[in-house]
Amino acid sequence: MADVRDIMELERPPTPEITRETILGDKTKKRTSVGPKVPKRPEGMHREVFALLYNDNKDAPPLFPSDTIGNNGYKQTKIKLGMRKPRKWVWMPFTNPARTDNATFHHWRRPSDEPKEYPFAKFNKKVEIRTYTDHEYQQHLKCEGWTKEETDHMMDLAHRFDLRFLMMADRYDTERFSKRSVEDIKERYYKICGVLAKLNGEKKIYTYDGDHERRRKEQLKKLYDRKPEQIEEEQFLLGELKKIEARKKERERKTQDLQKLISQADSQNETPRKTDKKLPKKKISNPSRPSRVDTNHIFQVIESAGIKFPDFKNSGVSLRSQRMKLPANVGQKKSKGVEQILQEMGLELNPTPSEEICQHFNELRSDMVLLIEIKAALSTCEYELQSLRHQYEALNPGKSLSIPPQLLSSADGEGKISTGEIIDVVGSPGTPSNT
Amino acid sequence: MSGGMLYGGDEIGALVFDPGHHSLRVGYAQEDTPKAEIPAVVGVASDDVKTEPEIKPEENNVSSTPSSNKYYIDTTFLHLPKPNMELHSYMKDGMIENWDLFEQILDYSYEKIIQSESHFHPVLFSESPWNQRQKREKLTELMFEKYKVPAFFLVKNAALAAFANGRATALVIDSGATHTSAVPVLDGYVITNAVVKSPLGGDLLVLRAREMLESIGVDLTPAALIASKEVIREKEKPKFTKKKFNFQPTNSWMTYMVKRTVQDFQQTVLQVSENPYDEKVAMNIPAVQYEFPTGYHQDFGPERFKLAEGLFDHPMLGAGYIASTSAGMCDVDIRPALYSSVVLTGGNSLVQGFSDRLSRDLSSRTPGSMRLKMIAANGTVERRFGAWVGGSILASIGTFQQMWVSAQEYQECGKAQIDRKCP
Repeated sequence: MADVRDIMELERPPTPEITRETILGDKTKKRTSVGPKVPKRPEGMHREVFALLYNDNKDAPPLFPSDTIGNNGYKQTKIKLGMRKPRKWVWMPFTNPARTDNATFHHWRRPSDEPKEYPFAKFNKKVEIRTYTDHEYQQHLKCEGWTKEETDHMMDLAHRFDLRFLMMADRYDTERFSKRSVEDIKERYYKICGVLAKLNGEKKIYTYDGDHERRRKEQLKKLYDRKPEQIEEEQFLLGELKKIEARKKERERKTQDLQKLISQADSQNETPRKTDKKLPKKKISNPSRPSRVDTNHIFQVIESAGIKFPDFKNSGVSLRSQRMKLPANVGQKKSKGVEQILQEMGLELNPTPSEEICQHFNELRSDMVLLIEIKAALSTCEYELQSLRHQYEALNPGKSLSIPPQLLSSADGEGKISTGEIIDVVGSPGTPSNT
Repeated sequence: MSGGMLYGGDEIGALVFDPGHHSLRVGYAQEDTPKAEIPAVVGVASDDVKTEPEIKPEENNVSSTPSSNKYYIDTTFLHLPKPNMELHSYMKDGMIENWDLFEQILDYSYEKIIQSESHFHPVLFSESPWNQRQKREKLTELMFEKYKVPAFFLVKNAALAAFANGRATALVIDSGATHTSAVPVLDGYVITNAVVKSPLGGDLLVLRAREMLESIGVDLTPAALIASKEVIREKEKPKFTKKKFNFQPTNSWMTYMVKRTVQDFQQTVLQVSENPYDEKVAMNIPAVQYEFPTGYHQDFGPERFKLAEGLFDHPMLGAGYIASTSAGMCDVDIRPALYSSVVLTGGNSLVQGFSDRLSRDLSSRTPGSMRLKMIAANGTVERRFGAWVGGSILASIGTFQQMWVSAQEYQECGKAQIDRKCP
């Protein structure tokens, strides 16, 4: 009670006021009803701890079993085991309701136990096997290759072996009938079940694909019958396949990277100067390019490479120099490259950020990044070209592949001009004219 | 009964008989070992001159036995030579062949071992997986008609051995006296079409060992004929005195006793090598000394392995081969289940190194994707009496009590139902 009150944070009942009645009336009665003196929980003591000290009975908490105290103290040594008299066991007869013949067997049982149904009878579970009448068989169940006798025998086996089809196939009466495989029996059985279910108007559908089962088992058999060498070979082939796939993936990844780079450059190229008419002209005017797709790729290289400086449209005050800060997505390598070029050109790394300088400086650096990327792409292409040439020469000894000079970066003339033009083309609208 | 539900057991005082070529195991169900193991031979003497404390043939209607015959059953009586006592085995090919002698054995078991009336106890018999229908019916008839058993049941011993090892589905390799068999068991039913057996058993080892011992000139006089012997040095000519009998022990008795002698030698000395027999490897393994009843003793080295190799080296009948053949004859769907519980049972499987070699042989034949697990009870008793122990378990299970063919059922439907009721 005190606990509940504590939990509910209720006040303790106030000690009864001393009135005339309390003094004159039966004092003792009142006292007992209130109980012995309720000790107050000291301030700061946890309720649980207090409850250990003072339980509901207000007795001292038992530290050891106090049972002995009431009796003979510690003197009682006789252990009291079961109080009841030992019950007899009797060898008595029982019948098993799971049996059909009411045979009686004997077992040991306490006669005091109520004679109840044999406890193991409830485990007598049977699989329900459908039955059919002669009429039903003649009407619906006739089947090519199965006589009624054989069907009856099959159903009898199903009943005896609780639909263990393997056992049914094993114990099939091969003297009277030809040998049947498990699949044959299953097929027939489920067909019969299906027809009977239909006749009874049940919705349950029995499907059994015997051919599929046969094929599956055939496959399984083949799988199990593999020789160790065959298994080894298979493992080896699987390993090789994995290697090939890994290589393929690597190649695809590389192409994708290149593709991405190319398309980036292209889109950057198109967005700033939508009205640029130089590009198509250039393509047409330059028939010596190996293929159009290639040129497109090269233009695409330029697309979005470079630096995308974020727009400072957010409200609030900011330093203009913030605009010149390289965005975080520019890699360490690129920013280093930019720095290097700036130093080569003798420019300041952090020029005074006036409006104009900010814009031009950003564009300049963007172009520089682009330049770095294009150079890298070019060298990749060249490397591939060279390696292809080597492959070609290795495959066709004696022949040598002459690479058109415009494809080589070292070649002068047209190729160089075109690259120069491309770079020019890439330039943003605000590029100073002296580039 | 009470408390029985917890373990699913309900003991009804059933008896379990497990006949084999080496011996017949008899005992009460729910016990962990048979009460007695009676050798599967019966001594028959055609005259009744002497009075011995053995069984008197019982007169009855079922089987007619000539009253003049005396039957000697169990080790104590068999091992003492008696005039004109011929020893006969009642088993043939894993099945009971001589019913008169078998009845004598049953009479003896009830009288001396069980010491109770047969009509009080349901009887569970084991049988070989290839037992014939006619023999099953004959046994049923015998038990109900002559012994008036209240209930009877027949189970294939391979299924029982699987039960004894806690499996309902298993590939049971049973290596007994006369043959080794591989029997697939599915849900407690034996797949009879996939049973494979080979005649390589304990008797073959005994025969080979005997040939070998005779070829090196070892005197195989059985202990029963030796009165005293002297301690001699290794390979020295034995010095012993024979017991005096005023008659000549019969040939069959001598053969049997010599067989027992060699059997002891075989059980103590022989070992199956882990890998196919290799003279060089076998030479390096320490030899084992064996002393014969005559006192002659010598070390046996590579012979130990060479003799035991006979169980495995046959390309078609070796234990590993028949096991994989048997599994290969079963439906592909249950093969993994069979390989994952290969139960080893039978007294001959106790030859040293048998299980190791078998598991090695079998694993080389197991398809790679399957898990092979050998279950071989460690105890001698569990291994030798595997089928009996399984029968003891089965007959004392509560849910089994509905399976018995009761005397009432026998009266109604006759012996033919045994084939339906005991699959």
